[in-house]
Amino acid sequence: MPISIHSSHMASEHLERYRDIIPDFDAFLDSMSRPLPVTVRINTLKTSAPELLSRLDRAGVGYERMRWYPLGLRLDVEKPGRLMEFHMGLIHVQEEISMLPPVVLDPLPGERILDLCAAPGGKAAQMSMQMSNRGLIVANDSSSARIVPLRANLERLGAVNTIVTSYDGRRFPEYTFDRALVDAPCSSEGTARRHPGVISRCSVKRSMDLQSLQVSLLRRAIQLTKPGGVVVYSTCTFAPEENEGVVSRVLDLADVESFTVPGLRSSPGLPSWNGNDYGEELVKCRRYYPHENDTGGFFVAKLRRRLSAGE
Amino acid sequence: MSRSSAEGFQPVNKDTVVSMWRERFGISEDVFKGFGFFRRGRMIWAFSLPEIPPFRCESIGMRVISMRESPWKPTTYALQLWGRHARKNVIDLNDEMARRFFAGESLELRAQVERGYVVVTHMGSVIGCGLYTPGKLISQLPRERRILDDQNAPEHHAQPGDTQQDGTE
Repeated sequence: MPISIHSSHMASEHLERYRDIIPDFDAFLDSMSRPLPVTVRINTLKTSAPELLSRLDRAGVGYERMRWYPLGLRLDVEKPGRLMEFHMGLIHVQEEISMLPPVVLDPLPGERILDLCAAPGGKAAQMSMQMSNRGLIVANDSSSARIVPLRANLERLGAVNTIVTSYDGRRFPEYTFDRALVDAPCSSEGTARRHPGVISRCSVKRSMDLQSLQVSLLRRAIQLTKPGGVVVYSTCTFAPEENEGVVSRVLDLADVESFTVPGLRSSPGLPSWNGNDYGEELVKCRRYYPHENDTGGFFVAKLRRRLSAGE
Repeated sequence: MSRSSAEGFQPVNKDTVVSMWRERFGISEDVFKGFGFFRRGRMIWAFSLPEIPPFRCESIGMRVISMRESPWKPTTYALQLWGRHARKNVIDLNDEMARRFFAGESLELRAQVERGYVVVTHMGSVIGCGLYTPGKLISQLPRERRILDDQNAPEHHAQPGDTQQDGTE
């Protein structure tokens, strides 16, 4: 999709602030101007990988399996939403890198999981699949407008172990979850390959405004998770203010843990940025840049709630 | 009060629900192991726990049966999830017929099934719910599950993940 000269100029100007932290910056800028591959996730609540792949073979739809995730496919088709397999709920159209946070969280069948900012529900439905429809996922989203697509996706994908709630995540009511996912509202710089206009709305001020919300959401999610439980914090932005800058403000409640995902390239989190010292442990977070895996941009932190959290 | 959680959702007798699936489709009760069933309005919902947790719920689990008609009508989504375990009242369509069924057409066909709601499949994968009367199969797919010709399709065809700018996915 072409971007106007005006917004393209503004885009690269804003992104210049990352020149020193993003490796191979020119390749990064180049990839940001290219459209994303069409990617889908196989929904094992309704099918199996062999069944789905044999359907695609028979329909003559080309695909490539993701190296790091056996249920992820890149499809050689323009409109996956018109495939029978989509309407059967056998696949979900989901950006490749957005399949990552549930993999890092690794929810188990029978556990109780909080998905604090769940709309439109691709990650919640993915967790439902990881849990074989057992246990509980509370898929929450504060926006009533986003509840409609959230419910529709969960229903089409057959996620029986979910309930949908619409609380302000900062004031989510008291409960004890085994794990929590905070896929926070963010400035979404990493989605520019699909929404080219997004960068022109980004600014440091906007990131700082979002940071207060993100810190409140993440702190609440940690408080709602059992001691020793895992909390994953993710965004689809590059702005350190919304990533390491958020995680550094919950280290009184949780510890950062390192993780690796074989087959997926990434860069370490930033221990400091623009004069802010976030702490050495922040290198355990992972940054995913578009040119590293030909995906959108993402940030993922894996946290574990302290056994005795100083709340 | 936390008790307001289950607003409108009343537990229903599991045997009643399970026996409907067994009698109509021959689906074993093992398929429903661990699931609970609740009623709100004229719909029955399936959920993974015997009790609804104490939240103000917009929805729980998924809608599996509509009690608006008699006999009760299984939802397309429930059939997509459990229909592959059906042993009877299943109609498998060829490519051409599956395309027409997805477009919402009624199909002229004769099948070895009982009159009433059937599981409609294509190459063994479930499409959804159909209504069979001898010689005819009528699509019961919800409108948003229909695949129309390009020229008739709405421009913003529901593409999950495309709906948002801020945040996830």
